[in-house]
Amino acid sequence: MYTTTSKLRRFASLLSVVVFMFSASSAQAFEGDAKNGKKLFKQNCASCHKLDKKLVGPALTGVTDKYSEEWLLAWIRNNAELRASGDEDAIAIFEEYNGSIMSSFTTLSDQDIFDILQYTIEGDQKVVPVAADGSAAVVVAESKDYSKQITIGLGLLLLVMVMLLARMKNTLRLVNGQDPVSILEEAGWFWGRLINNKGFVTVATVLVTVLFLNQAYWWMSGIGVEQKYQPEQPIAFSHALHAGQNEIDCNYCHSSARHSKHSGIPSANVCMNCHMYVDGSEITDETGNLKYDGEGSPEIAKIYAAIGWDSENREYIEDYEQQPIKWIRIHNLPDLAYFNHSQHVNAGQLECQECHGPVETMEEVYQYSELTMGWCINCHRETEVQFEKNGYYQDFHEELTEKYHDEKITAEKIGGLECGKCHY
Amino acid sequence: MTENNKYWKGIEDQSNPELTEKLAQNEFSNEVSSADFLGNDDAVQTETSRRDFLKFMGFSTAAATLAACEAPIVESIPYVVKPDSLTPGMPSYYATSMFDGSDFASVLIKTREGRPIKVEPNGDAPFNGATNARAQASVLSLYDGARLRSPKVNGEATSWSAALSAAKGMISASSVLISGTVLSPSASAAIEKLGLRHVSVDAVSQSARLDVYESFAGKRGLPMIRLEKAQTVFAVGADFLGDWSGQNFAAAYASRRKPGKGMLKHIQAEAGLSISGSNADTRMKVRVSEYEAVLATVYNAVAASKGFATVNAPKLRADIVSSVNAAAKELIASGEGALVLNGLNSKVAERLALAINLALGAKAFDTTTFVYTAKGDDKAYAQLVKDIKAGSVDTLVTLDVNPAYALKDLNLEGVKLVSIADREDESASQAAVALPLSHYLESWADYVPADGQYTVGQPTISPLFDSKSAVEILNGLAGGTESAVELIKASAAAMASEKAWNALLHDGYAQSEVAEIAMNGAMNGEMIDVSGINVAKPSTGLEFYTYTKAGMGSGANANNPWTYELPDPITRLSWDNYLVMSAADAVEYGVEIEAQSNGAMNGTTVNITVDGKSLENVPVWIQPGQTQGTIGLAIGFGRQNVGKVGNGVGVNAFELLPSSSALSTKVSVAATEVEHGFASVQLAHTMMGRKIVNEISLPTFLTESPEAWNEKPTFETHKGPMSAFEANLWDDHDHETSHMWNMSIDLNSCTGCGACVVACSLENNVPVVGKEEVRKHRDMHWLRIDRYYSSDMTKEVAEEEGVSAIEKYAKMEVPSESPSVVFQPVMCQHCNHAPCETVCPVGATVHSREGLNHMAYNRCIGTRYCANNCPYKVRRFNWFNYKGNEQFADVNPSQDDYGRMVLNPDVTVRARGVIEKCSMCIQRIQIGKLEAKKDGRILNDGEFTTACAQACGSNAIVFGDVNNPKSEVSHLKQEGRAYHLLEEVGTQPSVFYQTKVRNRA
Repeated sequence: MYTTTSKLRRFASLLSVVVFMFSASSAQAFEGDAKNGKKLFKQNCASCHKLDKKLVGPALTGVTDKYSEEWLLAWIRNNAELRASGDEDAIAIFEEYNGSIMSSFTTLSDQDIFDILQYTIEGDQKVVPVAADGSAAVVVAESKDYSKQITIGLGLLLLVMVMLLARMKNTLRLVNGQDPVSILEEAGWFWGRLINNKGFVTVATVLVTVLFLNQAYWWMSGIGVEQKYQPEQPIAFSHALHAGQNEIDCNYCHSSARHSKHSGIPSANVCMNCHMYVDGSEITDETGNLKYDGEGSPEIAKIYAAIGWDSENREYIEDYEQQPIKWIRIHNLPDLAYFNHSQHVNAGQLECQECHGPVETMEEVYQYSELTMGWCINCHRETEVQFEKNGYYQDFHEELTEKYHDEKITAEKIGGLECGKCHY
Repeated sequence: MTENNKYWKGIEDQSNPELTEKLAQNEFSNEVSSADFLGNDDAVQTETSRRDFLKFMGFSTAAATLAACEAPIVESIPYVVKPDSLTPGMPSYYATSMFDGSDFASVLIKTREGRPIKVEPNGDAPFNGATNARAQASVLSLYDGARLRSPKVNGEATSWSAALSAAKGMISASSVLISGTVLSPSASAAIEKLGLRHVSVDAVSQSARLDVYESFAGKRGLPMIRLEKAQTVFAVGADFLGDWSGQNFAAAYASRRKPGKGMLKHIQAEAGLSISGSNADTRMKVRVSEYEAVLATVYNAVAASKGFATVNAPKLRADIVSSVNAAAKELIASGEGALVLNGLNSKVAERLALAINLALGAKAFDTTTFVYTAKGDDKAYAQLVKDIKAGSVDTLVTLDVNPAYALKDLNLEGVKLVSIADREDESASQAAVALPLSHYLESWADYVPADGQYTVGQPTISPLFDSKSAVEILNGLAGGTESAVELIKASAAAMASEKAWNALLHDGYAQSEVAEIAMNGAMNGEMIDVSGINVAKPSTGLEFYTYTKAGMGSGANANNPWTYELPDPITRLSWDNYLVMSAADAVEYGVEIEAQSNGAMNGTTVNITVDGKSLENVPVWIQPGQTQGTIGLAIGFGRQNVGKVGNGVGVNAFELLPSSSALSTKVSVAATEVEHGFASVQLAHTMMGRKIVNEISLPTFLTESPEAWNEKPTFETHKGPMSAFEANLWDDHDHETSHMWNMSIDLNSCTGCGACVVACSLENNVPVVGKEEVRKHRDMHWLRIDRYYSSDMTKEVAEEEGVSAIEKYAKMEVPSESPSVVFQPVMCQHCNHAPCETVCPVGATVHSREGLNHMAYNRCIGTRYCANNCPYKVRRFNWFNYKGNEQFADVNPSQDDYGRMVLNPDVTVRARGVIEKCSMCIQRIQIGKLEAKKDGRILNDGEFTTACAQACGSNAIVFGDVNNPKSEVSHLKQEGRAYHLLEEVGTQPSVFYQTKVRNRA
């Protein structure tokens, strides 16, 4: 086993060297580390450049064939200087891209630039995980759960023991000269005793009724409570990626939460602030390969389809019939309850997560809280009013502290439990 | 013996006993085949048995029940590109102008998510920045499903270009454009460009009055009235607080009528009881035909005092002559503070009024600034009637007028019609070309409502239907291709160049200096020559006149349910028009009104003939304060083709009298056997000697202390006498910390106009219930304006004359024939010891620490104990699902998708079976507090107010926090005039009233 794998590994590395030599054969004198280059590319270049596609600037694959090493160093480091020096190539490319100015990167060392250029040559290498038999391995994450089997096993054991006991009893009966009795007969006799016992029947009836009513009560009070509700959305939008990994502030997209009763679902033009540049083509799968073969993500393409963005020519399509994105609403408060986001986010200074849970970890958002009246009331009983630095409460706070002394001044104490505060 | 007897059911049994026998075998003599019963041949072929059917039924019922437990999938659809100025959940306000042919208002439109939902007054506007009931209701007319949805040629829907070219093809040099008053300079320019003869006609004609100013001042407008400069107002037939867009006089009127020295004195002479007459200190009952004589008498007195020549004045009736002379004396004494207003469409009357005002140098009568909201020309119209009769007019282009309904003397048979109208009304439905007119909230417009005033109208929503604004249609007919906004921009650049376009849209108005003008025909420098004027002799027979109602006005919103549901301030009747008649005339003509066992009112109807034209079965209302020998009928009703709300409600007054005629004396009335059901919201007309409205005279106010005329009830207790606020059973709520909302209602300022009622209804999604429900006293208004008449019988009179108690109370129920009238807005009083709260079995109505009485609809189970226990009767019960029940399909606007758009999204739409009531606009309180919290600052007085207070033109309603010592309401609470309604009950209301003071001895 070990030997075959190592042989294959050696073969793979040999293969990559061959690939490297072929691609490097176009008379390139420098040496660069494509891995570091990729990192630098993502940090410095990716907002305007792609390898295979025009973005704000040109596609960079093959740039080393077009221009000399020195020219590229000069251009990348300070293109304005190069243009000022009257370099024709520099001016030509500047004009081709309508005079959009590329930033200068004076902090990059020569080696850094070579690394980036190396990356433009090698591109994103496909990593093929190789299984022992040489075929591409399919990795199946197997998490074994034996609890079911254990239960079934125990059950069987119990059954066997019952049978054994019955056998033993019958054997004893035979020894005593009595007729053997089958299990079923015995069970029937026992049941008959039970059913004729009025006390038992009464207790059982009461118990069953109470249990049933109890269950019915909880079931009915759960009607309309949609905790854990996780509908499939029209776009597979990941809060874990946006809010978690990329740490985008909730208020960036849900900006009206600070001002309005609604938190607001971002309109497509808000998405476009980033997705004008991020089309998802650089998304990789678990193995590190490009997920969509360098094409844009089909999920992000749904935003483009809604707003009418031509990702090829990088412009909005004129007279496009825009289609709104029909998200499925997760948090549905009944109309009879008035809830205002800005009251809680702005005046109450609550974190979004206190009601919406760890959204930054959710691939697909679900309703975290119950959103029942009891849940609201509970929070109003426990949450202290944010008097600090809020001029509105100035006089009010003094009066209340005088009245309640050292007690916590919660929302309840300023009328937060009154019916008319939410129901009108 | 008996067993052989045969009993026949009928003669036919005997004639054919076999058949009878056969029929007796079957339960149903005529068998109905299943095919007939099911009405579907396929259904007969199926093999579904009854048992199967029941199984399926059971299954589907169970499935439906289970499915109902699942929450429905709700979509949340954001904008694709969100407009910068819009945040979902936050209102945006736009300044615009409203003009419906008679009412002009500068308004602010509240929009939510792009939908206009509320009209608010534009308080900054220098001219007509207030709203009345019609302006408040006008937003609902936008969402009228009966509006014309596309241009039509010969009844077929078509495109605008096709319709315009069809219309152009019909127009020739002998075509005429007929319109209401055109206030828009852009529209006037387009009409000029169109080159058609243009005739203006108003629903309420002021033509003769305008003629006077045209000849004297060279301007076809009416002088600006500046009530703030008046000391004594004498109005003759002029309902200036009502149908003169009275909301704009209300603020000045109220401020001049604050009790104290120099309080404005208001004397009214009129035939029918109007809003102005109800508010007057002194009111005299005068026939319409006597108006001129009254003015001439006053003129003569004024002229005599100034040494001018008098005119020939007919002798007045003995019972009014002394009060007219007294009024003249008061006017003369007031000098420059005098103001005489004439409401009669008569040159003689207006010239006399002008002459009196000029002779006295009335400062309130501004003859340098003219108002142009009425421009109709009866002479031009009369010529048009003649020309059409003569056949010299080929096509009549109607611009927002409805000749088939309102201009009955116009013979439309010989002319082709091009109708520019918002719906297929009586005229547009017979027009060759119908061009849909946009609602004002969808239109660009510009107006010059008065000298020095320029206002713009901007759209607050895209047109709901394929309609265009008046300016754009007229310009299109004239061959222009500019869009409406281009035309208005050009006009604004010319008319209001000093104000930038964006600033103009933000403010809604631009103001410029008005140049002084000289009056022609002056005598002695300041006197209009009236010598030789021919004052008409009063008639003695029955007189007929038309008038406008607070809700309907001139009829622009005739398919708007709030127009009808708003009870008339005086008669307190909704969903009707009727002849108003004095009690004496009622006896003469055999007219009676009786209360029914269900509390509704039924009355006699009459057949009426006026100038040879007659109407049958017209209901009659017996009106206290109506001058004997006069009968009035409100215009705007009796529509046939306006939409499902207005069709067939009331009768058309224009059938009897054209708008150009002020009155007719050729009237005959005959009672019929047909009864009419009225929808009355108030059955008690007098206060029965109780202090419901505390009213005193000015001398009492000035000379005596408040304890004397505003006595507070006290109770004898073991601790000695205690006030209703001290003696109580309950523990007090903590009202010291935080806010304590209170409301002050000044009964001296309230004119009873009804704007607050409509504003409240729209703000709070109050359902419209229709006539049948109002008849059963199931009206849903959260705010009502009670109207009380004085009675000739009082406790003092009874004591003096020794009248027995039974007779005294029986007589106290009868309103006086010349009553003084008081209005009292009543909404939930938000009692701090609320009787409703203690009886609710489910705790659905509870008290807040801010002094409000909360109502949680979703807790209410509809026992109505609270309504029973409420001493103010302000709680309303939802008897039906008004927004869904078919019974209300014709009246309730929430029954269609358009009408639902006007609902306030911050207020719950109540379900059937719950009680509702005034919440003191808690949604506004909550948002107001929140804005302060978000900004981290103290909440200032007047930052927000309730819908009723905001709509009130006279500032009678003041809302605020009494715990804020700087607030207006906390000062008002300390006033000597302040009292609580039914204070002796001990409810400790958060609403209090200010005593009414009348300026008479």
